[in-house]
Amino acid sequence: MLVTTILLALKLSGELRKKRTAEEKAMEMELAKAKAEQADRLKSAFLATMSHELRTPLNSIIGFSGILLKELPGKLNDEQKKQLNMIKTGANHLLSLINDILDISRIEAGQMEFSMEETDISGSIMRISEIIKPIAQSKGIALYVENCDWLPKIITDRRRFEQIIINIVNNAVKFTQKGEVRISAKIEQENVKISVKDTGIGIREGDIGKIFQPFTQIDTGTARNHEGTGLGLAISSKLAKLLGAEISVKSEYTKGSVFEISLPLKGKDEKTYTSYRG
Amino acid sequence: MKKLILLIEDNEQNRYMETYLLEKEGYEVISAGDGHAGIQKAKERIPELILLDIQLPGMDGYEVARYIKNSPAMSKTPIVAITSYAMAGDRERALSSGCDGYMEKPINPDTFVQEIRKFIGN
Ligand SMILES: Nc1ncnc2c1ncn2[C@@H]1O[C@H](COP(=O)(O)OP(=O)(O)OP(=O)(O)O)[C@@H](O)[C@H]1O
Ligand SMILES: [Mg+2]
Repeated sequence: MLVTTILLALKLSGELRKKRTAEEKAMEMELAKAKAEQADRLKSAFLATMSHELRTPLNSIIGFSGILLKELPGKLNDEQKKQLNMIKTGANHLLSLINDILDISRIEAGQMEFSMEETDISGSIMRISEIIKPIAQSKGIALYVENCDWLPKIITDRRRFEQIIINIVNNAVKFTQKGEVRISAKIEQENVKISVKDTGIGIREGDIGKIFQPFTQIDTGTARNHEGTGLGLAISSKLAKLLGAEISVKSEYTKGSVFEISLPLKGKDEKTYTSYRG
Repeated sequence: MKKLILLIEDNEQNRYMETYLLEKEGYEVISAGDGHAGIQKAKERIPELILLDIQLPGMDGYEVARYIKNSPAMSKTPIVAITSYAMAGDRERALSSGCDGYMEKPINPDTFVQEIRKFIGN
């Protein structure tokens, strides 16, 4: 009798304990969720504040150097123009750095927002190539766009899609000393594949994994002779992933590289959203 | 008659710069450093365009836009938002608060006035 009572008591307390731990678990989970949400809010607020604090003084630097260069307050001599242009170039470089760092932080904090819209990717590719052509020409490199004017419209974030293409085409031109850069497109298995092929310095097989890491530039032996921060591909590959796309690379060291962006014809949840957070 | 633009922007240098660019192009500019002062000035003399910074101390630009668009005397005055968050949702938020246009900082002095003209004419 006593034994069964004790056994019963033990069993009961065991069940109570189980119940309590289940309740505790639920509470802990609730708490963790609230904490995570608060952390998210803090991250958003931090990014917004940083963006604002950095852009406000830049607005003055870019604005006033532009005003002076337009000679609105008065004529400039050549030396003044040259030095003001240096301020302007430096400020624009700083701006693109700030944008890149904010992008990386937003992606890593899960705060990147996308506006999905029907996008004329052919038009985007044409526009981008027109912008980069003069840079290629000034280096004596030809930039060809082949077979890119017939692509179907795709639901994606136009600005971010263009950011990816600009990064990759810019790289191709930057890391090519002679020869050409060729942009082409095709459709394969429900994907649009845009390929950017160059005859540049190429990438060693062992280095290919590194190029998508933030702040990584491949040491080319000589002192750093290529401008940049090493953020372009890190951002591009993360953006691509969040847009449901993929970037792949084939390269032969000293011969050239091919970067391919593969984008699904049907965007993420096509019907249901115009904007989402990745 | 010069067209009147009201500029609501809390940073003094930015205010000076935007005013300078607009005055050079022949607009008359009045300005305010926060939302309340901005609304006050708009009531005194209704401008033909309001340029509105979004990050303002106290009342933010979204609230200012909503207030203006809800007041019968000013509801037709076009508002162009200028923001330095430059996040994807900002544009939608500005437009849904009643802004008619949207511009990102840093502004480009080569195209700034051109953009403004789309909303106000010469
Ligand atoms: N087309 C290419 N040919 C050869 N190497 C390349 C090519 N594209 C990228 N790389 C290598 O990958 C590295 C990382 O590229 P990424 O675009 O991330 O940085 P970056 O161009 O150096 O700087 P940023 O894009 O931030 O201005 C480059 O520094 C370079 O070493
Ligand atoms: Mg790059």
